[in-house]
Amino acid sequence: MSVCVWGVGTSSFARQPERLPAELAWEAVAEALEDAGVDGVEAAYVGTVFGAPGVAQRALSGLGLTEIPIVTVENACASGTTAYHEARAAILAGRYERVLALGIEHLTSRFDGPIAPESTDPEQATGLLLPALYALGASRYMADHGATPADLARVAVKNSAHGARNPRAQRRRAVTEEEVLASRMIAEPLTLFQCAGLSDAAAAVVLGPPRGEGRDIPVRASVLRSGAAWDQASPHVWGYDVVRTTSEAAFEEAGVAPGDLDLLEVHDAFTIGELVTLEALGIADAGRAPAQVATGCHSIGGSQPVNPSGGLLSRGHPLGATGLAQIAEATWQLRGDAGERQVAGARVALVETMGGGAAGIDGNGCVVTVIGG
Amino acid sequence: MTAAATDAPGRSADPRPVVVGYGGRHLLAGARCVACRHALARVVPRCSRCRGPVEPERFGPDGVIWATTVVHIAAEPGDETPYTLAYVDLDAGPRVLLRLETGGARATIGDRVSLTAPTASGSAAAELVR
Repeated sequence: MSVCVWGVGTSSFARQPERLPAELAWEAVAEALEDAGVDGVEAAYVGTVFGAPGVAQRALSGLGLTEIPIVTVENACASGTTAYHEARAAILAGRYERVLALGIEHLTSRFDGPIAPESTDPEQATGLLLPALYALGASRYMADHGATPADLARVAVKNSAHGARNPRAQRRRAVTEEEVLASRMIAEPLTLFQCAGLSDAAAAVVLGPPRGEGRDIPVRASVLRSGAAWDQASPHVWGYDVVRTTSEAAFEEAGVAPGDLDLLEVHDAFTIGELVTLEALGIADAGRAPAQVATGCHSIGGSQPVNPSGGLLSRGHPLGATGLAQIAEATWQLRGDAGERQVAGARVALVETMGGGAAGIDGNGCVVTVIGG
Repeated sequence: MTAAATDAPGRSADPRPVVVGYGGRHLLAGARCVACRHALARVVPRCSRCRGPVEPERFGPDGVIWATTVVHIAAEPGDETPYTLAYVDLDAGPRVLLRLETGGARATIGDRVSLTAPTASGSAAAELVR
């Protein structure tokens, strides 16, 4: 028994305060159902972080998707991929044969700037905005490995060049290293162009068993974990170990090694996140990710493109929708449907999402999935 | 470590690290695992590393900066910016996120710091030791 991606879809990615969350979901789900060639599903798993109670049911009822089991999950930035992971698990368990994974987030109705502190989180209550959490990691990474602000900026340069080719991206302008470094300082050393934008969007994936349809993309592995304790005994920056352990399990399940991947969509909510993630995934040795990015091997046209969509930095980061947008991009790439940003000959892709505050935990949740091949 | 209850809707009990004044010094009211001796920044039922039982212990006041950043955007409306945050590993104690008073100096990883009284808003805080 295995599971395939039958269809994918997304809304536009933008600040869309004039639209209801349900309208974003209609756009994404309608595209995914049409792409899958089906007109309904047996169950839906919905990821959202700040979604209002009942947002999933209200959204799906507008498409006539009623009376089915609907399960809403929250798992920080990995909420969408957690919904996908659980949808796949339900199919593997034989509970359903056609399941929707949906991510919805409408951030402009909740925030006007950086994601505000969650008052019950001890570190966020101390003033640790999410950019500051990654900035702290960046400070340590730079001290440990001699990395520079320019090393961080080059991630934004690369991903913005990719995003400029993505009609769904929120930011569609390629920026220079100088522009990145000169943009407004948010939390040292991270500047504005190194932070993913606030976004309203939905993304959807329809999953089912193999059906002999050539456009379907097999799911070779999906692993979900929460972080171990993160404290004075942790040798790595926040978020490294959970990505490492989750991806090791995913590589084992998929029967592939990091070098076998043709492309990756990884969690670059902030530039430092992509560098740390590439090392945690085993794509780069410790401290070597900046040098690898600088060679161009992770750009479209390079040997192993990372975030050909433009990543969260370009697409925007509607928390619950992000993971499913990553899977949509990987699916388009593996089908050869990615247009100007197509990775030539792409057969196997990895998607990684992780998130949460620190507060003694190395990430609230991390999902790594390998698809294709 | 009992955080003050709140009667204001929309506000929860204060989750931040508890720093107490003691003999002119400021100490973190944390805990230590009875089984594996791991230091914890707060009192919880079980050790986050080995699930052993814990007992309260006070840590500090001194420690070393593990990571630091200067934040240029306000976490809450009205917050003064910029402000400095640091993960500090207290000597023989836990890692804790602190607001850092640098007196205009630039904090760097490896600098020694000492716990002070919490900020006016109640966040755990430290100053550079010169």
